[in-house]
Amino acid sequence: MTATDILCLVPVLPLAVGPLIIMIMVAIKRNYELTYGITLLALLLGFAFIFYTIPFVPHSIGPLFVIDHFSLFFLGIIILSALLIVLISYGFIKKLSGFKEEYYIILLTATLGAALLAMANDFVSFFLGLETLSISLYVLISFQKRKRLSVEAGVKYLILAAASSAFLLFGMGLVYVRFGTMQFDQLAAQLIYPVHLSPLLLLGFGMMLVGLGFKLALVPFHAWTPDVYQGAPTPVSAYIATVSKGGVMAVFIRFFFAVHGYQNHVFFIIISAIAILTMLLGNFLAIRQKNLKRLLGYSSITNMGFIIVILLIGNKQGVQASIFYLLIYFISTIGAFGVLSVLSTEDKMVETMKDVKGLYWRKPWLAAAMTFSMLSLAGLPLTAGFIAKFYLIFEAVKADILFLVFVMLASSIISLYYYLRVVTAMFSKTGEEEKTYPALSFSGGLALSFISVVILFLGVYPGWLIEMLIKFVGL
Amino acid sequence: MNLFFYIAGIVAILSTIMVIAQKNAIHALLYMIVSFFSIAVIFYLLDAPFIAALEIIIYAGAILVLFIFVTMMLNIVIEKKKEKRWLKPKMWVIPIILAVVLFLDLVFAVYSIPFPSVDKGVVMPKHLGVALFTQYLPAVEISAMLLLVGVIGAYHLGSQEKKVTHRFFEKK
Repeated sequence: MTATDILCLVPVLPLAVGPLIIMIMVAIKRNYELTYGITLLALLLGFAFIFYTIPFVPHSIGPLFVIDHFSLFFLGIIILSALLIVLISYGFIKKLSGFKEEYYIILLTATLGAALLAMANDFVSFFLGLETLSISLYVLISFQKRKRLSVEAGVKYLILAAASSAFLLFGMGLVYVRFGTMQFDQLAAQLIYPVHLSPLLLLGFGMMLVGLGFKLALVPFHAWTPDVYQGAPTPVSAYIATVSKGGVMAVFIRFFFAVHGYQNHVFFIIISAIAILTMLLGNFLAIRQKNLKRLLGYSSITNMGFIIVILLIGNKQGVQASIFYLLIYFISTIGAFGVLSVLSTEDKMVETMKDVKGLYWRKPWLAAAMTFSMLSLAGLPLTAGFIAKFYLIFEAVKADILFLVFVMLASSIISLYYYLRVVTAMFSKTGEEEKTYPALSFSGGLALSFISVVILFLGVYPGWLIEMLIKFVGL
Repeated sequence: MNLFFYIAGIVAILSTIMVIAQKNAIHALLYMIVSFFSIAVIFYLLDAPFIAALEIIIYAGAILVLFIFVTMMLNIVIEKKKEKRWLKPKMWVIPIILAVVLFLDLVFAVYSIPFPSVDKGVVMPKHLGVALFTQYLPAVEISAMLLLVGVIGAYHLGSQEKKVTHRFFEKK
């Protein structure tokens, strides 16, 4: 490895060193606050080093990684989301019984896996990053090992994720058989369109799509989502909905653009069918849902459907719109899960509509934060979600895929119903029954106010971020 | 050449199906060993003798021994009569037949294939080592992190916390 290689890997180094330091520290003496501090420090350092790395890109490290503006931007989104999730989990994890420090070790390694996915340029690094992420998630999901639901969710995710990894690996193998290389750019060099895809190759790409579709919870492979989101501890649900999907989405976009998937009409039909099904089915399943964690799970399915539409546009502007959408979706989702998790304790999880009913009359600020997140997810004007949806639909219209645009609009309208139902539940008067919520920790309050401010600020004044995206990010 | 591959492949598929069809864990592991051996033979036929050796040393050797140890420790109470019943010929004849087929496959392959048969050449340990310590070095390091997560996760999920209070004072 050369010095430049190491300079380019500096943003992910804190994510790898952090777990080791915490591990040694735990072996000497367990201290929750110190562990939490080191985790925050590692993530902040990682985030700061991204700016330090910018002058050295684009740069590729051996065959495995490529570090360009695209991966750095995704790295930024991933580390920022992880940071917010660490902030909102402080109070909830602190009150758990049993050992708690492992949570932060595994959260950091999961973030490392997602960060590696954002830089992956080869099947080897792709798969290793994905496995680091998945194995960390198995543990995080069943972290409350005394709770039956949590363990059940962990086992479900373990079995299904292992099966989907097998699909992915088999697909990679078949693609390798045809091309004899595992690097994305060399694959791209050998695929000159229009090319006739042999059945073997089509099967290979199809199996990879199954594997990726599972991780992103696209529609035929979405069935695990509600159970896992419900069973996992609330901050972990936020993590699955954001960081893990961000990493997989980054590698999906990079791979799909490397092989120019949008130019092939078979892929075009398959992806648009998946996108339409994902957008609509996610919504229909959410409509009658009374459990907020499951509802947000379905909402994440729908939003992933929105983002993969962009794969079909196949130009730089589409990628920029999808990254913007992803960022806003992450922030809003973390806000929603964050409110639920600062209200929850180990014995009394706040997760149904009934639990948040009348929240405004008891905790007005938290209810406001939840409202902002919900409105942003629904895409109402003055919130960042509106700009994100507008930008995405604008690019789709420009690319002339009007049928998909129609589905996107219809899906947005349907989604309004269930997001607003949560808001009305929070603002309605309840009976006299007393609900006690735990006190809000400082870090939770900080994260939630940051999220609310960002949602409002980007909703009114999004220009600078979009300009930054246009200036830097492309594939 | 292709025939040898297909024979080894069929043995691999059959033995793997038998692994999941067995009621008794030890019998399943017996088939699993055959399955690993057949995969090793496939690697050998693809001109990767080193990987074939690794497959046998690591999977059939280390991992399965570990499996068998754990399975045996879990059912410590074994009556002599039960042991007799488990060792019926039905249980070990099929794995042995599969293993013999595999062995003959390998022997004939060794004598009949002009070496090397694939244009990429034989993958020797040196090539693998060089690849792992130069261009794939980051991948080795990530694997280390991956194993670390596995260890910490297994420790967390498997550990039992010490009881602080006497059970008399515990709440229901």
